[in-house]
Amino acid sequence: MDLTGKTAEELVIEKHVEALRRGFHLWPTLAFDRPPALGDARWTADLILATWLQAETGRPPDNGLEYRVGRSGGGFDRLDFKFLPPEQWLPEEEPVDTSIPLNRRPYDRRIEIPVPWYGAGMSFGSISEQVMVARAKAAQQWQTFTCTGEGGYPDSLIPYRDHVITQIATGMFGVREETVQWAPIVEFKYAQGAKPGLGGHLLGDKATVAVAKMRESVPWVSLFSPFPFHSVYSVEDHKKHIDWVKTMNPEALVSVKVSTPTDVDMVAVGSYYAGAHIIHLDGSYGGTGAAPEIAKKNIAMPIELAIPKVHRFLEQEGIRDEVVVMASGGIRTAHDVAKAIALGADGCILGTTELIALGCTRCSNCERGRGCPFGLTTTDPELSQLVDPDWAAERIGNLYRSFQQQLQGILRRLGLRSVRDLRGRRDLLRYERRDA
Amino acid sequence: MSRQSIVEALIRSRRTLAGPDLPPLRKEDAEGGCGVIGIAASVPIPGRHLLQSLRQMRNRGNGKGGGIAAVGLDPRFFDISPEVLEQDYLLTIAYLDPAVRGQVESSFVEPVFAVDHIFPIPTLPDFRAIPGLEVPPPEVVCYFGRVRPQVRERFLQQQGLSERERTTVEDEIVYQNSYRLNRTFYSSTGEKRAFVLSHGKNLLVLKMVGYGDDVIRYYRLEDLRAHVWIGHHRYPTKGRVWHPGGAHPFIGMHEALVHNGDFANYASITAYLAQRGVYPLFLTDTEVAVLVFDVHHRLYGYPLEYVIEAMAPTTERDFTLLPPEKQRVYRMLQTVHMHGSPDGPWFFLIAQSDPNERAYRLIGITDTSMLRPQVFALQQGHEAIGFAASEKQAIDAALESLSAEDPRFWSRADLYWNARGGSHTDGGAFIFTVQPNGASASLRCTDKFGRAIAPDPAKRPPTPWPIGGGAIAGAPVAPSALSDLDGSPEDAFTRLCRRIPTWDYPDLLRFLEALEHRATDDEGRAWTIRLLSLLMDRHYPTGSMKRSGLLSLLDESFAGVVEAIRRAPSEGYVWMGCDGPQPEPLHPDQVLVIDARGYPPEGEGSLARMIVAMHRRGFRRFLVVHTRGHRFIANGLGPNSDGVRVDVYGFSGDYLASGIDGAEVVVHGTAQDQLAQIMKRGKLVVHGDVGQTFMYAAKGGEVYVLGNAAGRPLINAVGRPRVVINGTCLDYLAESFMAGDPLHGGGFVILNGVTFDEDGRLLDLETPYPGGNLFSLASGGAIYIRDPYRRITEDQLNGGAFAPLEAEDWALIRPYLEENERLFGISLQRLLTVEGEIAAPEQVYRKIRPAGHEALQPEEAWVRNQHG
Repeated sequence: MDLTGKTAEELVIEKHVEALRRGFHLWPTLAFDRPPALGDARWTADLILATWLQAETGRPPDNGLEYRVGRSGGGFDRLDFKFLPPEQWLPEEEPVDTSIPLNRRPYDRRIEIPVPWYGAGMSFGSISEQVMVARAKAAQQWQTFTCTGEGGYPDSLIPYRDHVITQIATGMFGVREETVQWAPIVEFKYAQGAKPGLGGHLLGDKATVAVAKMRESVPWVSLFSPFPFHSVYSVEDHKKHIDWVKTMNPEALVSVKVSTPTDVDMVAVGSYYAGAHIIHLDGSYGGTGAAPEIAKKNIAMPIELAIPKVHRFLEQEGIRDEVVVMASGGIRTAHDVAKAIALGADGCILGTTELIALGCTRCSNCERGRGCPFGLTTTDPELSQLVDPDWAAERIGNLYRSFQQQLQGILRRLGLRSVRDLRGRRDLLRYERRDA
Repeated sequence: MSRQSIVEALIRSRRTLAGPDLPPLRKEDAEGGCGVIGIAASVPIPGRHLLQSLRQMRNRGNGKGGGIAAVGLDPRFFDISPEVLEQDYLLTIAYLDPAVRGQVESSFVEPVFAVDHIFPIPTLPDFRAIPGLEVPPPEVVCYFGRVRPQVRERFLQQQGLSERERTTVEDEIVYQNSYRLNRTFYSSTGEKRAFVLSHGKNLLVLKMVGYGDDVIRYYRLEDLRAHVWIGHHRYPTKGRVWHPGGAHPFIGMHEALVHNGDFANYASITAYLAQRGVYPLFLTDTEVAVLVFDVHHRLYGYPLEYVIEAMAPTTERDFTLLPPEKQRVYRMLQTVHMHGSPDGPWFFLIAQSDPNERAYRLIGITDTSMLRPQVFALQQGHEAIGFAASEKQAIDAALESLSAEDPRFWSRADLYWNARGGSHTDGGAFIFTVQPNGASASLRCTDKFGRAIAPDPAKRPPTPWPIGGGAIAGAPVAPSALSDLDGSPEDAFTRLCRRIPTWDYPDLLRFLEALEHRATDDEGRAWTIRLLSLLMDRHYPTGSMKRSGLLSLLDESFAGVVEAIRRAPSEGYVWMGCDGPQPEPLHPDQVLVIDARGYPPEGEGSLARMIVAMHRRGFRRFLVVHTRGHRFIANGLGPNSDGVRVDVYGFSGDYLASGIDGAEVVVHGTAQDQLAQIMKRGKLVVHGDVGQTFMYAAKGGEVYVLGNAAGRPLINAVGRPRVVINGTCLDYLAESFMAGDPLHGGGFVILNGVTFDEDGRLLDLETPYPGGNLFSLASGGAIYIRDPYRRITEDQLNGGAFAPLEAEDWALIRPYLEENERLFGISLQRLLTVEGEIAAPEQVYRKIRPAGHEALQPEEAWVRNQHG
């Protein structure tokens, strides 16, 4: 105990928090070189720093940081928009609508979100409760959603439950009738783009007493979710699954999260016929550092290929306007969001991006209990105190504001008054050969 | 001539089939599971009973494909003689474009066949009379014909075969002719104008874009009688335009196959088939499945056992338990045919006519991993009937429909069971063989290895049905029977158990009538319902009567009590049905009797949602009767549903009691798949078997099962589920079980490994657990397995380890075994009895606890160090 009345532990945390936040502020604004060893070709140092800056200011950077594309030499990094000549842009004062509906069927409740994205499922276990609460707060502020992931529904999320999606994944950890009944949207996670064919897994190191309690499992034992759902081996089982949710919660919208195998178009159509409102395509770039190296980027189809495949197929089937397609797995920037929509998605789902906004550097230590230096992907009771939910919610909110502003800018330059008009406009995209 | 030369000659003859524009090796359709039902009977059964099953399984299809096959047909339907039916090929052609009929006949029927009879299948005047049908079903014409001798001669000559191979060659000619017809008029033209539905002897296939039951309605097959039927609902998920050619069944030669599931290795199988001169045209899994069957069965002439082995190979521990001679043969089969073995979740039903042996067969085969639901059943009276289906309720629906009009059958089967896919025990396949014998026929059920499945032949069936009819109703009630109605229902039951073995069906009927009379006031109703439930739930000696016959009579009686409540509701009981008003409870303990018939099985207005609504209205006690495959019963009650009790009668459906959190649910009979998924708290009692993935990801609750569980019970269960299973499981019990430490509040499963014979005697199963995977990857909880003879071996455990049963273990599980005794009458003393002597608990029960997974041990050790 010192003169401030704080314990040594509190002081240590305070010191670390101070140092971290100063770093998040300083690095993007330093005039000299980028930090060494930060980023990779997809998430370049510029993109990470630009995300930090947006999370602080709520605006895109104006200091030369590249905040639109990475250097992967493919995918979204090679796509660009065919903007109109400036004289045809919509004037600044003209309102541009960025809202999308999450139910396009003629029945069941109407839900609209003011921005075409919501938060991806990240479980209590994969991330800390503080980060979950922060994401929920941001979702509430922005009238959009976040998702529980597969690890239970902490009580601290209940105040935000109108903005929390309950995920039912193959292990069904922490899923109870109650948590399904709280949810305006229920998400079935059939597969994850980072590791199709594998269930979720949480190594023993992160299955702390609190995590195990929430999941009702044994502490410090690695948790593996099976693959696939052992009660769902076919589309009629899948329909039964959806009927089950509708029995527990008739009001809920149902989202079906699938990875992107080569027949993802068939999967999407099957989900539609089984009664899903949202088809969530999770491409191969997503996932945390915890997914096995062998699976990451090696199995699923890149999201920029999957979206148009599904979009076109649903159009051919004549059902495109009855179902919402959400894309995830490598959506880093506002420009990625706009490109995904132009390729045929209704909107996007953000996971890693939100963690980057909170300071993630993609160091890929996510599977370790005390591996995350920023207190994000940890369940360690000390480390997770590095993140204050209010601070973090504000940063996510700021990122959203910056994204919305950029998206409106893109739409103006394309002469579109609504993001809904951008969907499937592949003609507005250009494939560019850029020097990597 | 050797078989090999014949096989080579036949494959050689197919060289011309390939042609330049072969269809792609990629399957075109995505379809998932489906609903399947098969019936085989010693007497021809009218199609309307199959219709009833299919109607109750509509939620397994989407109306975009349905079909039936019938074998062992009634010649009168076609207006032909029995000889023509038996000797002629029955070429059935679907004309999507009726204008091509002349062209098809002149180029593919007349040149090959000497046609004895032409029979257009009658239809409803307008297909739009059937709601939901969008695509006009094809016009169907049956041609009964013999292969022209000169066509046969030419083939024999070209391939250098002798007249002795006459039948083989005729089959091949018919097969190749149909292939060419389909290439010309169906798949290769782009325009789809005509295709062959079936071409075997005494085999008829019909299919269209609709539900399976629509096929029966539209083609007016309600009155067509056949010994063997299979029916199918399809759930295709691609294409705005569907064609009947994609619907099941698909044909080989004299057989038709329907299928539930899909394969991952379509391309591999297609390549395997191409090596044998077989080229699929309809590009679905099901088509290649039956083509593989045809290659094994007709081309190679394998016996059914080998065909089944080649499709669903015996693997892992089961393989090692086969006799050495079988291992040798099976290894050869697997080596040669593994690439033609469908990989993935599947369940096949095959209807086959065997012209050589003059037999008709229904064959059900499940995949090695048992990933699709399947149930078999058999009823043996003066006549016999066997079933295989996706759901038990579909079997019960057919039996109910059949027994209502045919006095030779009654409403419950003698035996219901599941197949263990790719196992050494039953091989995962069952075959019902109908053998006509003059005017009558016999039905025999065997497993893959040819072992017979048959109920006790000494028991007499309750036929003709209904017994005695009016005569008995008027007879006076025996005084002895009346005295059985004194005391508590439990006392009465105990007395009845002694008396029933001396009774015949008429005695039972008289007793039940007296019983029904008692159910007039509340006290009498409660008493009667309790006694009837005991009689339905428990196993006891039934003397010369069949248990299934007795249960049928009890069902009738129970229906009578329910009907009385409907007519005269009382303070204690009120009735509700799908077209009647929804009552308000007089008091919270008033029992709401819900007649499930007519409520949709799921969705808006479903039975499950109605129970939730009536619970909100204040009811806590539910008697759900006459269920017909209704799903999600007692789901949606939400947290803290303590005090709610739901008793379920009839044939309940999937997901029953899923997610219950406090409520008590009692199933009076056998239940289906996915029961008690994510169950949190409360109590579930099942007086019968449970199906696939029982208690998947359950968190807790107290559960008692009288019979067996199918595949994967308690997978991924956590928390504190406490479960007693008196029978056994197919395989994969408690995989990834994570239920803490049972001695400190965690969960466990007690597996007793017992069964009842038909006379209510409790028997030990040969082994308490036949599977090769027990407690795999488990990290918490325990299994207490009753294994006095130490039949379970280390090699069945994969992540578990035997541990001594300590006094505290016994103190923990004993109360559950006592409750088990109270619920099912399975006495603890009997369970502890070994070779006539009561043994110590640790000699009878073995504890299996998690051993930790080898691959994870180093890491977990590190973690434990870190966290003390």
